Amino acid sequence: MKKGKIAMTITIGIACFALVTVMMMQFKVVNETDITAIEDMQESELKTQLANWKTRYEEIDAQYQEVAQRIEEYKNDEESNNEASRLVQEELEQTNTLLGLTDVHGEGIVITLKSGEDGAAISADDLLVIVNALKFAGAEAISINDERIVNTTDIVYISAGSFIKVNGQRILEPYVIKVIGNQSHMESAVTGTGGKVEELQTLGHTVTIEKDNDITIGKYNGEIETKYIE
Amino acid sequence: MIFIAILIGCILGAILGLNAPMISYTYSSYLAIAIIAALDSVFGGIASVIKKNFDLKIFISGFFGNAILAILLTILGQKLNVDIYLAAIVVFVWRMFMNLGTIRRYYVEKWTDIIKEKASSKSKKNNNEKEEKQGKEQEEK
Repeated sequence: MKKGKIAMTITIGIACFALVTVMMMQFKVVNETDITAIEDMQESELKTQLANWKTRYEEIDAQYQEVAQRIEEYKNDEESNNEASRLVQEELEQTNTLLGLTDVHGEGIVITLKSGEDGAAISADDLLVIVNALKFAGAEAISINDERIVNTTDIVYISAGSFIKVNGQRILEPYVIKVIGNQSHMESAVTGTGGKVEELQTLGHTVTIEKDNDITIGKYNGEIETKYIE
Repeated sequence: MIFIAILIGCILGAILGLNAPMISYTYSSYLAIAIIAALDSVFGGIASVIKKNFDLKIFISGFFGNAILAILLTILGQKLNVDIYLAAIVVFVWRMFMNLGTIRRYYVEKWTDIIKEKASSKSKKNNNEKEEKQGKEQEEK
């Protein structure tokens, strides 16, 4: 065999080898991509689709931004609403406290009054004077025998049965007056020379004053009704 | 001889190609056009072997040159947004059929020649036998 013919044969064999190698690789690629079904589309088609998706993405993104902004606004609104309702709640609590519609506790004093065995009993006027003095000294909450003193409270002497009514409820001795407020102010308001306590003591009544750092005063049990206030 | 070389090349190529790593789908269009070009070159080579004007340099340069040119044209076509690779495919496939035609004609002629020769040799033999018989008969007479 001639030398040229051998070279020719080998060359064509190598060429076939390279060709079939690349062909097989290509077959594999085409087979793999068959699964995704993308190869059915032309490139232009894909481009159009891509553009469509891009547009849609942008639209949806814009929508999302809008919604997110709205949510943010709502959140702010809610917060301010919360703030407002919190303030209202606080105000209501404060008002209730001042009106005596809630149980309160705090430092203060307890005054116990007991009539002497001889002579006149403690009158409603005495209680009124003491309550007034305490209020003047800055008392924040007062009760007599657990009857809360509120702005509609009445302290009257019923002569027919010779007893005292507070808030329309009959109360009996000993009269226990609980006050929440500055302890020394409360004490000095009722004691001291010319004070009501001294006066009562000279009349033979028993008066004891106790300081307490945690007095609990119950709420007003009645109802505050208005008929004529417009 | 040449067919054994082609067969061995194809088998080895298939084994290597099936075990080769995957190429990205992006490049598969370039690869496809290169395959068409190389296929054309191989058929052209076989045809030239048959025509007995095979040149190694022309074959190798055609094999790689055509493939590379086809890839470059495809890339250019994509850049220009014109499907140039269609023209390349048309040309290569057309040439492939031309070469296949050459190969086919060569073998058809070869086989017909062989059949004819066989037929003629048979008839010659028959004729010879007849002549011999006739000669013998004449001698006997």
